[in-house]
Amino acid sequence: MATAQSVFLSGIVLGSLYAMMATGLSLVWTTLGIFNFAHGIFMAVGALVAWQVGTDLGWGLGPAAGLAIGVAVLVGIGFLSELVVVRPFLARRDVVLIAVITTLSASIFFENGTLLIWGARYKQLEPLIPGKVDLLSTAISAHEVLIIVIAPLTLVLLWLFLKFTRIGSAIRAVSQNRESALLMGMNVSLLYSSAFALSAGLAGLSGILLGSVRFITPSLGAEPLVKALIVAIFGGLGSLGGTIGAAYVIGLLEAISVYFIGLYWTPALLFGVMILVLLVRPTGLFGRKG
Amino acid sequence: MAQPILEIDDLVTGYGRTQVLWGVTLALNEGERIGLFGPNGHGKSTLLKTVSGLLKPWRGAIRLNGESIGGVQPRAVVDRGLIHVPQGNVLFPQLTVVENLRLGAYARRARAEREPNLARVFELFPRLAERRRQLSRTLSGGERQMLAIGVGLMGAPKLLMLDEPTLGLAPKLKDELLDAIGKISRVGVPLVLVEQDVEFLVALTDRLYMINHGAVALDIASTDRLDHGEIMQMYFGKG
Ligand SMILES: Nc1ncnc2c1ncn2[C@@H]1O[C@H](COP(=O)(O)OP(=O)(O)OP(=O)(O)O)[C@@H](O)[C@H]1O
Ligand SMILES: [Mg+2]
Repeated sequence: MATAQSVFLSGIVLGSLYAMMATGLSLVWTTLGIFNFAHGIFMAVGALVAWQVGTDLGWGLGPAAGLAIGVAVLVGIGFLSELVVVRPFLARRDVVLIAVITTLSASIFFENGTLLIWGARYKQLEPLIPGKVDLLSTAISAHEVLIIVIAPLTLVLLWLFLKFTRIGSAIRAVSQNRESALLMGMNVSLLYSSAFALSAGLAGLSGILLGSVRFITPSLGAEPLVKALIVAIFGGLGSLGGTIGAAYVIGLLEAISVYFIGLYWTPALLFGVMILVLLVRPTGLFGRKG
Repeated sequence: MAQPILEIDDLVTGYGRTQVLWGVTLALNEGERIGLFGPNGHGKSTLLKTVSGLLKPWRGAIRLNGESIGGVQPRAVVDRGLIHVPQGNVLFPQLTVVENLRLGAYARRARAEREPNLARVFELFPRLAERRRQLSRTLSGGERQMLAIGVGLMGAPKLLMLDEPTLGLAPKLKDELLDAIGKISRVGVPLVLVEQDVEFLVALTDRLYMINHGAVALDIASTDRLDHGEIMQMYFGKG
């Protein structure tokens, strides 16, 4: 049953990518209370910066440098984007709605920016590790194994950061009670931009990992972003563990569905499952009550 | 005469277009504990929020040790050692008791004393020590008040403002908190205490202000004999 194993592995690869993306989305959602629709284009920008820095068609510094600088640039872009696109509207009652518009505008801005800088030609990153590996008696690219390993590792690091560092616990705290955070002397604005920056860094990392599996276009992140949104809602908005669990469930479901039903009907199936789950459990698959 | 620690001068503020404070003037002197009381909705909490920087004053001055703090960021107020424990504070419901307390010492000046202060809070409220790993949203009302005060103490206050710390508590718990607050103020922390229960205030403070319609209506020494009738009169006016 080699096919069952390869379906399983491709599901885990998808799940790993979704887990990183959805965690980024959910981090911003819990902390700032908004959805960042530029998350998808952040992925593409991360991949393009890594391409520019790393590949021989760019500056040729190698894939590792591309990865590091790509993520770092995205952290910076996230930090600045929060200042410009979110901060001015945070005090407003309708910030959720305004943020939909402003983050979508940012997304369009970055999309055209990347076209202006890098043109419309499809690009692809070299795999971080070349070659193939035998896993569960299935040949799978080493790069995909790397994705399977990096995702949980990154998320564990993120969890440790949020749980045990001063800034990390402050980020968790401010999302639960802004007024108390202020009264304890926290720099709430700085915590907001840090959370946004961290989330953008995660987007960059997922984009770079995806960039050697798929072609890099401005819409590299668009389709996975929709899946990540499903994951974030499916997992119960705001619960980190739930989001990660849901990412792997959706990834596996997608892989199975693509194999049996085909690429075309799979998104419809995923939305159908999400709606069913939300009908039965309005707080999501793993979400807390109220 | 020595300079007051906290001085509020003709303070005016409100929410949006609704004015709530209509010129509050009061002072807290060295080593003093003052109590604020008055009818519901007349601006006691609003006054504290303006002092701690959650709300901007429209007019008037707030001075801490002679330095103007009106309209500065809450962070700047905390950094000067003025700690505000707000009314009905739910803190961080998804964090444990000890996580909440440690975050109380977030400000730089409180950080160095964090662990000794934590021990002191646990000594003052042994119940919190027993529940240190419990999520704070699962605490009872009384335990939550203890946690809120404990978090305030973790900020190493040079001046502590408590807003209705015994709201909705049974008499036995109220006595427990009265003891605890008494101990805190006895180590020399000046106190601004808001309470509906005037007897509670008399037991803990040196001077009382009655806030009525967003202004100070009465300024009395707690050592003055107050009987129940007089207090009722203060609330409801004569005749
Ligand atoms: N966030 C807010 N937005 C608008 N109005 C508010 C807000 N908070 C309080 N108010 C109004 O300001 C007025 C004063 O409220 P405040 O909380 O200061 O009263 P209080 O004296 O503390 O009352 P209580 O004894 O019930 O705690 C009330 O009319 C209240 O409705
Ligand atoms: Mg009040």
